[in-house]
Amino acid sequence: MTTPTAAEPLLAINDLRVTYRRRRASVDALKGISLSIQPGQVVGLVGESGSGKSTIGNATLGLVPVTSGSIRFDGRDITRVRPRERKALARSLQAVFQNPYGSLNPTKTIGSTLAEPMRVQREFGRAEIDQRIRDVLNEVGMPDDAAKRYPSEFSGGQRQRIAIARALVLSPKLIVCDEPVSALDLSIQAQILNLMCALKAERGLSMLFISHDLAVVRYISDSIVVLRHGEIVEQGPAARVYEDPRVQYTRTLLAAAPRPHGT
Amino acid sequence: MTTLLPAAALPGDVSRAGGPGATGRSQGAAGHARRLLRRPLGLVSIAYLLLLAVAAIAPGLLAPGDPQAPDFAHVASAPAPGHILGTDALGRDMYTRIVYGTAPELAGILIAIAVAAAVAVPCGLAASLSKRVDGVVSSAGDLVLSIPSMVVLLMVLAFSQSLNGAMAALGLLTAPGLMRVTRSAALPVAEEPYVAAAKVFGLGRVSIAVRHVLPRVTGPIVVNLALIAAHALIMAVGLNFLGLGLHPPAPSWGSLLSDGAAALDQQAWVIIPPGGVVALTVIALVLLGDAVRDVAAESWAPRHHTPRINSRGRRRDDRRRDAPGEQAPGMADALLAVRDLRVAFPAVDGGLTTVVQDVSFDIRRGEAVGLVGESGCGKTMTGLAVLGMLPAGARIVSGAIWVNGRDVTRLPDRERAALRGKTIAFVSQEPMVALDPLFTVGFQVAEAVRAHARVSRAAARQRAADLLALVRITDQQRVAKSYPHEISGGMAQRVAIALALAGDPEVLIADEPTTALDVSVQGEIIELLSALQAEKGLAVMLISHDWGVVSGLCARSVVMYAGQVVECARVADVLSEPLHPYTAGLLGADPHLAVPGELLRTIPGTVPPPWTWPQSCHFQDRCRYVQPDCRGQAIPLVPAGIERVSRCLHVEVLAGAEAAS
Repeated sequence: MTTPTAAEPLLAINDLRVTYRRRRASVDALKGISLSIQPGQVVGLVGESGSGKSTIGNATLGLVPVTSGSIRFDGRDITRVRPRERKALARSLQAVFQNPYGSLNPTKTIGSTLAEPMRVQREFGRAEIDQRIRDVLNEVGMPDDAAKRYPSEFSGGQRQRIAIARALVLSPKLIVCDEPVSALDLSIQAQILNLMCALKAERGLSMLFISHDLAVVRYISDSIVVLRHGEIVEQGPAARVYEDPRVQYTRTLLAAAPRPHGT
Repeated sequence: MTTLLPAAALPGDVSRAGGPGATGRSQGAAGHARRLLRRPLGLVSIAYLLLLAVAAIAPGLLAPGDPQAPDFAHVASAPAPGHILGTDALGRDMYTRIVYGTAPELAGILIAIAVAAAVAVPCGLAASLSKRVDGVVSSAGDLVLSIPSMVVLLMVLAFSQSLNGAMAALGLLTAPGLMRVTRSAALPVAEEPYVAAAKVFGLGRVSIAVRHVLPRVTGPIVVNLALIAAHALIMAVGLNFLGLGLHPPAPSWGSLLSDGAAALDQQAWVIIPPGGVVALTVIALVLLGDAVRDVAAESWAPRHHTPRINSRGRRRDDRRRDAPGEQAPGMADALLAVRDLRVAFPAVDGGLTTVVQDVSFDIRRGEAVGLVGESGCGKTMTGLAVLGMLPAGARIVSGAIWVNGRDVTRLPDRERAALRGKTIAFVSQEPMVALDPLFTVGFQVAEAVRAHARVSRAAARQRAADLLALVRITDQQRVAKSYPHEISGGMAQRVAIALALAGDPEVLIADEPTTALDVSVQGEIIELLSALQAEKGLAVMLISHDWGVVSGLCARSVVMYAGQVVECARVADVLSEPLHPYTAGLLGADPHLAVPGELLRTIPGTVPPPWTWPQSCHFQDRCRYVQPDCRGQAIPLVPAGIERVSRCLHVEVLAGAEAAS
């Protein structure tokens, strides 16, 4: 990173490499990625399919094994977290995924889904769990009685609100958001983006925001990292990268994305 | 904790998915049982199997007599007073013997399915969640499947002399099949994002399997267990029939059958009661399995408020044949003119649910028009209506679609089909869907050419190469020899466009042609469509939710909301000054046009489902400028400038408010 920082960053990824082994060949999904997120900062990851942007999120969440390099989060090394330590880590690191239809278990009520992260922690009493569920549902703009319903009773945008509520219920410091608005219609996408901006402002949440859509990333992020073929091609403050890209690939990406314009 | 945002307009949302009263769904095991009993077939099979259970546990309750007591007055008899099911060759009461013979058969079934489930379900779930376990378990399963089961059963019987032991072995031998069913049903579930979320918050593997995967796969497991139970019953009866299970004189259904078979020449009846009870039990098991599966899925599956779709398509006699030959009104030079198009599905209550309402627009030769809106606005349905490919059940209720001065809605099916590809072509969102994975790209394009024109194979090949060049594929030779999986998504979309152009169409309907593609490719496809439109004079109907794509290709746009056209105008005019609150809301929600740090101007709520559309303004519940008169009457499309119409009563209020903000 070019910007000097006084405090230790919340998330520091250093020379991260991830190699997927297929039957014969192996694929280098990430070829030495370094980036960091300060407390309260939103870092946007953009790139086309196959650029490795989701792999960075999944490696941070422990969903794919890291080949080499390190990931430090909140003062500790989380490059290879054991299943047992994952529980403690879950209190400060959460995730929101893309597909609103697959992000909730259809066989469980919303209340049960939201209670689960707290039940895993084994520290919350029945009353506290109920109270927190009401609080997060309100915070994401859903009524209390949503807890008694099943995911099938909600639209895509509402399910994404609930998925965000699940990520918030343990009051984490960082949320990894993997294409959280890509499957939503424009007006619903705007509602969710506003919600996430509000959460960032009110809670001081940090986010690793992954998207293929530069406009979305630019809107929500403080800083942007542009990826291509598993490597960082450009990173910097969001406005700078968007208004004045220094690398040809970023310029191509910006030029290629169809933007509304009057002629 | 503070509420950051207002509740997202719930009335519309709730009715979309669940409808009022959807909360009244009973939950838990008690709810399952109640719903199961409400199904007639479930109720009957449960009652029958309960009766068998009583017979197995306390046969004396159902049959007071002694199963071994002979009645020499009635030997091998048909039903008679005192013997409702007759007697066997030794004069023993058939009914009593069937009741007493239940226990061994039922125990056999229970042991077999318990063993099969206990082995197969955990192995299948574990295999779906871990590749390493999958390798071991699948190989072991294959090994077990290769063992001849009858030989094993006979060996077990020879050594243990126990029918129950044999049934346990049978359970073990059928486990690999059930394991495979469980595994293949669980694999896609294990890939779901909610399972990843559960891993992130530290839920253990066993809990993930039990809480998040198992409930989704109970359906196939239960159905398979029912089949295994039926199979086990037949096996148990068979072994008893052969005298390898229970020893006489203790009764079992199998031994009754074998006694009956021996006495068949005296009295044919004797084989019917035991045979009947076996058949009934098999049927009951299978029906119960189906009912349990349906009930388990019902507790969380969506309630279908959507109109039930008639499986029959549009019928010949439904077609309106009145007033033919009238000229298309509106633009004189329109190649495609849609007039007051109304499309509806049959509703559950026997009426019609309208999904496209009085839609009108024109497209001239060489012009591209964008149909813009969110999902559920009817833009794709309008496209399919023009194409003459509405989904089963949906039909054009009124209106006309003029192509080249002919109303195609009045054409017979055969002529309509002939238009597709030749006059009107279609490009979909997912290019791979248009391509057959089994054939090379060049072959498929050549086939499409031959479908429209009678030409030799060589000529078709040449024309295919020309088409690939037309869609700006530079190395046509290589691409033509490639299979669909060997080319990129953007290349596949080019090929799909070449396929669409094979019949030399005049109208091209492109439904979200760039949505599934990477950004860098999106621009190229738009450029290509734009060039084709200019070169070939194609009329392009672009269906899209993306103002960027629309403004890149189209001069004019038709904005749709909840089945209606709400605004029709030149794209540049729409972008600079939208004249319908929905259009303004869509543009305000577009992050391309947003200022970071400022909240996006959102439209609260979601598009309401068709069955809740009011007579008056469809947008009223989400509109920030709504007035009392918006809720009064149907809103007409009114002229709002040069070549522009809007379905809003308060255009001037909107224009003032937008100018002020």
